Amino acid sequence: MFQIKLSLFSKTKSLENKIDLFHDKIIDVAMTFKRAITVFLKEQRSEEYRKLCKQIKNIEHDADSLRRDIENKLYSHNLIPDLRADVLELVENLDRIINRFDEVAYKFYIERPDFPQEYHSRIKELCEQVSDCAENMAIASRAFFRDFSIVRDYSQKVYFMEAESDLTSGKMKEAIFDSDMPLANKLQLSSIIGEVADIADIAEDCVDELLIFTIKRDI
Amino acid sequence: MDISYFIFLSSGLFLGWSLGANDAANVFGTAVGSKMVRFKTAACIASFFIILGAVFGGSGTSKTLTELGTVNELAGAFMVALSAALAVYWMVNSSTPVSTTQAIVGSIVGWNIYCGFDTNTVILAKIVSTWIICPILSGCISVILYYLIKAYVKRGKIHLIRQDLYTRIGLILACAFGSYALGANNIANVMGVFVDASPFHAVNIGKIQLSGTQILFFIGGLAISCGVFTYSKKIIKTIGTGVMSMSPIIAWIVVISQSIVLFLFASQGLKEIMMNMGLAPLPLVPVSSSQAVIGAVIGIGIAKGGREVNWSILGKVALGWVTTPIISASICFVCLFFLENVFNLVVYH
Repeated sequence: MFQIKLSLFSKTKSLENKIDLFHDKIIDVAMTFKRAITVFLKEQRSEEYRKLCKQIKNIEHDADSLRRDIENKLYSHNLIPDLRADVLELVENLDRIINRFDEVAYKFYIERPDFPQEYHSRIKELCEQVSDCAENMAIASRAFFRDFSIVRDYSQKVYFMEAESDLTSGKMKEAIFDSDMPLANKLQLSSIIGEVADIADIAEDCVDELLIFTIKRDI
Repeated sequence: MDISYFIFLSSGLFLGWSLGANDAANVFGTAVGSKMVRFKTAACIASFFIILGAVFGGSGTSKTLTELGTVNELAGAFMVALSAALAVYWMVNSSTPVSTTQAIVGSIVGWNIYCGFDTNTVILAKIVSTWIICPILSGCISVILYYLIKAYVKRGKIHLIRQDLYTRIGLILACAFGSYALGANNIANVMGVFVDASPFHAVNIGKIQLSGTQILFFIGGLAISCGVFTYSKKIIKTIGTGVMSMSPIIAWIVVISQSIVLFLFASQGLKEIMMNMGLAPLPLVPVSSSQAVIGAVIGIGIAKGGREVNWSILGKVALGWVTTPIISASICFVCLFFLENVFNLVVYH
């Protein structure tokens, strides 16, 4: 009996750790992405950038295996039956954010977009905003598991950062299409800016759902 | 031992079976319905603790019923239990939250009227008052627990996964406690009227001595357990849809509130403690677990703002207070007449 109890507690602890680790991965990927874009703007497709891309890919792989593990454990141990579907959706959505960071970083690597110097500060600003958005999303989601009373605070930050990133990306696109660069370049840069800004949009969608889940989580 | 005793006892066993099927669903229906505990696990725990409660805690409530009317002939006891069972069956079919206690009290009064014996009005008033107190008390306990648990969940910052584990353990413990309380409180309904005619003698099992009444209650407990295993799953699936939508924590609050109320009205030890402290003790009366559950659910509904409360259910409960005893008393009266005049059986002396 004592052993059963111990095993139950250790299984619970292990799953708690996995969920925490999964959230850590979002923060990791957001920070690495910020660094990678700074390196890219300075050195283009350098060895350093390739390493950072590889690092992002590894984080994405780790997050995938953690997500599968969490989903598997939630179902096989029949845990949180009332909120399981919500938690699974939340984890899937968070994984989409990580995937998008990976996709965008890889897109920079493949397409090698040529941002004129005057746009560097703005693209850095946009990347910071989407990274902040993802980080706050991760904190809000972590709070959902532990202290759901603060979910709302971090959700507001996500909304704020998403609105800021929309503004920044809009201004950038405007400036790019007003410039004299060839149309092909304009379209490529606009598309890549749109994809970066999309990360914040996904985080916003996640937070919308998270707030609903939080209402359900309250007894 | 006379075989006819067991034939007459069959109505009590039938009543026990229906109590197991209906009332046990109140104890662990929410836990099973919310998929937090497997049916088999819940049924095993419930059966064990119902028998334990019946054998070791059932004497207090049984005494109160005996004071209301001492059914002194087996044929009479048979009909009292059968009328109660039929009344319960009828009320369940009409979807009224029924109480086995109200049915058995009605039957005993019916027996008293048929035999021309006076009904102890003081005891009757005491029993009837508990029908009203029971859901109110259960509601009050659930409101207090709701606020306490809500504050604890908010301030405790427990991880959702760990909270799930604690809730699961809580539900299993509540299921055990609720089953013990149900056995202790409601065994009197099932076997109370057969106590006076019990042919069982005391036996020793190791260091434990069981009286004849306790053996009778053990048999009643087995009948309740039989109802738990054979029919309660169906009850949970068919009438348990309302409780299935509850969150596991709310389910726990409902079960524990109901269990506390059942225990308060069954515990001889608690009664003595209250008397020693100079407090007015609660009467040891079998109360309805269904109505205690309704009280608890309404209590939580009110605590949440009252928007989700289905107030019409209160009307049904009140209707049950009046109709159940009248129906069972009428059935008992008519059937006793047939038993005595058609089958030539002695129903009282």
